[in-house]
Amino acid sequence: MISLQRLKPAFWNHADDPGNYSGLNLKRKWKLIVLLTSILALSPLIIMTLVDFNLTRRTIETESNTRMLNSLHTLAGIMAASLSQNPSTGSALDLWQDAFHQLNTGPDNDLFLVDASGHLVTPSFHYDRESGQATLDTRLFTQTGGIVDWQTPDGTAVLAGYARIPGTPLTLVQLRQADWLKDLWLKPRLKLLWFLCVSILLILLSIMGMATYLVGRIHASERRRIEALHHEEHANRLASIGRLASGVAHEINNPLDIINQKTGLMIDLLTLGKEKSPDQRLLPLAEDVLDAVKRCGTITRQLLGFARHMEPSVEPVDIEEVVSQVLALVETDAHHRNIAIQVSPIPAVPGFECDRSSLLQIFLNLAENAITAMASKGILTIDVSREKTDQVTITVSDTGKGISPEDLPKIFEPFYSSRNDRWGAGLGLAITYGLIQEMGGDIMVKSVVGKGTRFVLTLPVKATRPPASDGSLHLPGSGIPVEPTSKDTPQGAMHVTKQK
Amino acid sequence: MGLKILLVDDEQDFVETLSERLQMRDMDSHAVFDGKTALAQVQSHPPQVMIIDLKMPGMDGIQVLRQVKQTHPCIRVIILTGHGSEQDRKICMDLGASAYFQKPVDIDELNAAIRQGPGNGPPNPSGADDFNHSFNTGCRQT
Repeated sequence: MISLQRLKPAFWNHADDPGNYSGLNLKRKWKLIVLLTSILALSPLIIMTLVDFNLTRRTIETESNTRMLNSLHTLAGIMAASLSQNPSTGSALDLWQDAFHQLNTGPDNDLFLVDASGHLVTPSFHYDRESGQATLDTRLFTQTGGIVDWQTPDGTAVLAGYARIPGTPLTLVQLRQADWLKDLWLKPRLKLLWFLCVSILLILLSIMGMATYLVGRIHASERRRIEALHHEEHANRLASIGRLASGVAHEINNPLDIINQKTGLMIDLLTLGKEKSPDQRLLPLAEDVLDAVKRCGTITRQLLGFARHMEPSVEPVDIEEVVSQVLALVETDAHHRNIAIQVSPIPAVPGFECDRSSLLQIFLNLAENAITAMASKGILTIDVSREKTDQVTITVSDTGKGISPEDLPKIFEPFYSSRNDRWGAGLGLAITYGLIQEMGGDIMVKSVVGKGTRFVLTLPVKATRPPASDGSLHLPGSGIPVEPTSKDTPQGAMHVTKQK
Repeated sequence: MGLKILLVDDEQDFVETLSERLQMRDMDSHAVFDGKTALAQVQSHPPQVMIIDLKMPGMDGIQVLRQVKQTHPCIRVIILTGHGSEQDRKICMDLGASAYFQKPVDIDELNAAIRQGPGNGPPNPSGADDFNHSFNTGCRQT
């Protein structure tokens, strides 16, 4: 069964497989190809064989019938000649005895004589001498010779040849079992039939093999195409979010500064002005407004920063700032789901550089992933540490539902998603993996079902290589090397190594 | 009266308030609402410091900055915008702006930038040259 499972092509069972999207039912296509090609290839072969079969049978039947009739007529001629010299029943019986021995008779090759009234003159293997008349075909007594099919009283289908002995009322009858002819043509044909069956099997196998190969190729290219499409869609989505964010931030900045200056003027009037303040509470109130304006300013600046760093470029990055930017983006969602976010103090990493937007995206994907895994209630922990001088270790863990050991190796594959909705396209972790790979980093997952999941990523302090020049992300294929970590890691721990 | 300042911004409400606040800080500030008026004002009553918004109908802030720097290199220009990108910032600094602020701006920071001159902003040798030039050659006009 295992080997059968392995033989099954990738497109066979996945109705929701991305390669089977866009109305391409590849399983049905495969069946259609196999059916049509089989019909085209096999029908001439089968038809030719059948025609040959029938032709051979008919030729042999006709030939042997003629031969049987001829020999009966010859025998009847000889008997007639003898009887004309000595016309008595006794001599007829003698003649019959001779012929009987000559023809090597038996139950399958019966020979007897009947007279004009239908009575058997000689014994028969199939008929009694007394009751024979009623069951014999009447044609025997009216015609001079021929071949007919009939059934004997004991139920055997026979081929009956008969010839009138000229000058006498007697008719010579030979009965042969109907299927005796089969031996003549069927046996050699059976060998051919075997040969036909083996060739049909080979042809079918090769057709199936070719169809599987072709449809497999279609499936693979379709999958690649859709992966690229999804990737583009994702990139476009990010870019439009960026444009929207910067547009909103810009438009808000102007009215925000009007509030800022007007309130500032109020404070100025209260502090620098000559008149005495009408109410002592006005000044702190105005200062509160200014504080709120400052907070709004921070948010719009963060939005602008998020939008600005859409193009990959290696630059010095403050991890703390990136983390706070991500938290600002996921905080509301986390709050709605009753999820607490814990961030341990982030150590300063002088000289840390990478593509800022990539780091932002990685944090965002991991944080969103963690929040989704928890659904409601839980703790999202982000921890940044520096265990080696040239490496930064970032841990993002949740107390969510966890990932089963079977699913664990698949989570970085594109289109793997535990969510069923269409936009949980299952690209988040694949993109994360690609980004980390581009940075020259490494990611490790530990998960216990029901307890939670922990992603541990290590990034080099100095970017080892520049991001892809075309700005594209490299999604991992299905062949991500996944190997179990050492035995002391928790259940379901997997380590995804860097691809060279 | 203190420094002569010309504010250029199409947001009238904003620029008038800011002007008033600067006046309260002993500056001779005056607000105009578009680039053309600003350039005319520079010709007739050249200020010492200009505060310019980048995005304005008609002539935009970068054009105003370029023309002012061509005709009056000794006027210090501070850019104050709600639409600033990293690229805009670079262009402005290359054109000789002394400082670049993103709205909403803190009045004390702006005040400091106006009084201290180009040293307050990011390192900008050309701006510093202009500043020194204006003092050394006496191109400062009244």
